[in-house]
Amino acid sequence: MLRAAGRRILGLGSGHRAPAAAVASRGYHERVVDHYDNPRNVGSFDKNDPTVGTGLVGAPACGDVMKLQIKVDDATGKIVDACFKTFGCGSAIASSSVATEWVKGKHMEEVLSIKNTEIAKHLSLPPVKLHCSMLAEDAIKAAVKDYESKKAKPAAANAETAQTEKVASA
Amino acid sequence: MASRFVPRLFLRRLRMRRRTQPISSLHEASAESAGVSGDRIFSPSGSWSPPDFQCVSRVFFSARPSSLDEGKGPAAIDYPSLLPEEEFHRLSDETIHDLLEKFEEYGDAIQIDDYEVDFGNHVLTLKLGSLGTYVINKQTPNRQIWLSSPVSGPSRFDWDAMSNTWVYRRTKANLFQLLEEEVGQLCGQPISLR
Repeated sequence: MLRAAGRRILGLGSGHRAPAAAVASRGYHERVVDHYDNPRNVGSFDKNDPTVGTGLVGAPACGDVMKLQIKVDDATGKIVDACFKTFGCGSAIASSSVATEWVKGKHMEEVLSIKNTEIAKHLSLPPVKLHCSMLAEDAIKAAVKDYESKKAKPAAANAETAQTEKVASA
Repeated sequence: MASRFVPRLFLRRLRMRRRTQPISSLHEASAESAGVSGDRIFSPSGSWSPPDFQCVSRVFFSARPSSLDEGKGPAAIDYPSLLPEEEFHRLSDETIHDLLEKFEEYGDAIQIDDYEVDFGNHVLTLKLGSLGTYVINKQTPNRQIWLSSPVSGPSRFDWDAMSNTWVYRRTKANLFQLLEEEVGQLCGQPISLR
């Protein structure tokens, strides 16, 4: 409900008149607008590819779904490419976009230390949008976890991921 | 298999729903729907209304625990089955109203510039001027109370029936305790919320 109000008020690119709501209207930081207008790394990898880890977090009911994928170099454990697709508010899109930028070229262990507070600070997210940055942090962790589980049990994991996709959002 | 019915359920619900408002965030960065099995991805076309919340929450969250699940990270949890919605509203409304009253009393007792307590649409906002702003709101689909803190960032509290409190699963923090510690420290005067 909060997010819907936020989206309506800050209806970027849709020319909406915003009704008065509980959320005070404030502008998005220019970095958020930049990521919204020029999203980086939007796209999809083949999730059955053994070098790809897919993190799927959030739920439409909550207003945010993020899919963040990483492509890992098996030999070095480094993330060579990343992409994302996000359904949500401008802050959620920007947070996941930033996340894909930050994970590229880093080692998998290293990206696990990316904190939501860093993303939030980088985008100057207001208090009510901090949860978006947390979701982006969760998406990174979920992607790494997925890659590692695929690597650990290649045959079984591939069959399982083809059958079920669990959305993590606790 | 249960997952086979998901896209049909979706389509039926979407056809029934009027288009409420266009979603401005649906541009090329928007996602295919989450939680559908691999070879049956449902891609939203142009005008897509948000699906019915009740239906979606039940569909997306698998109750099967993963063997790789750690307590610290994100996890797939079947929220609606943990707590019925009415019960959740009763508990969370009571908690948030309690906090509202306590924060208002606290504000009368201390001298902080620009101390302000706002409450609207079930969202409680505690402004502490330059010290930061707290936002506490209900997240009904998850049966959680969400907190945004200038000190500890975002956290999500689940109702723990055993202790009759709201607990953040990942850190085991208690909502009232966390707020007492942080606000007391920020404002320099202890506050009791319990």
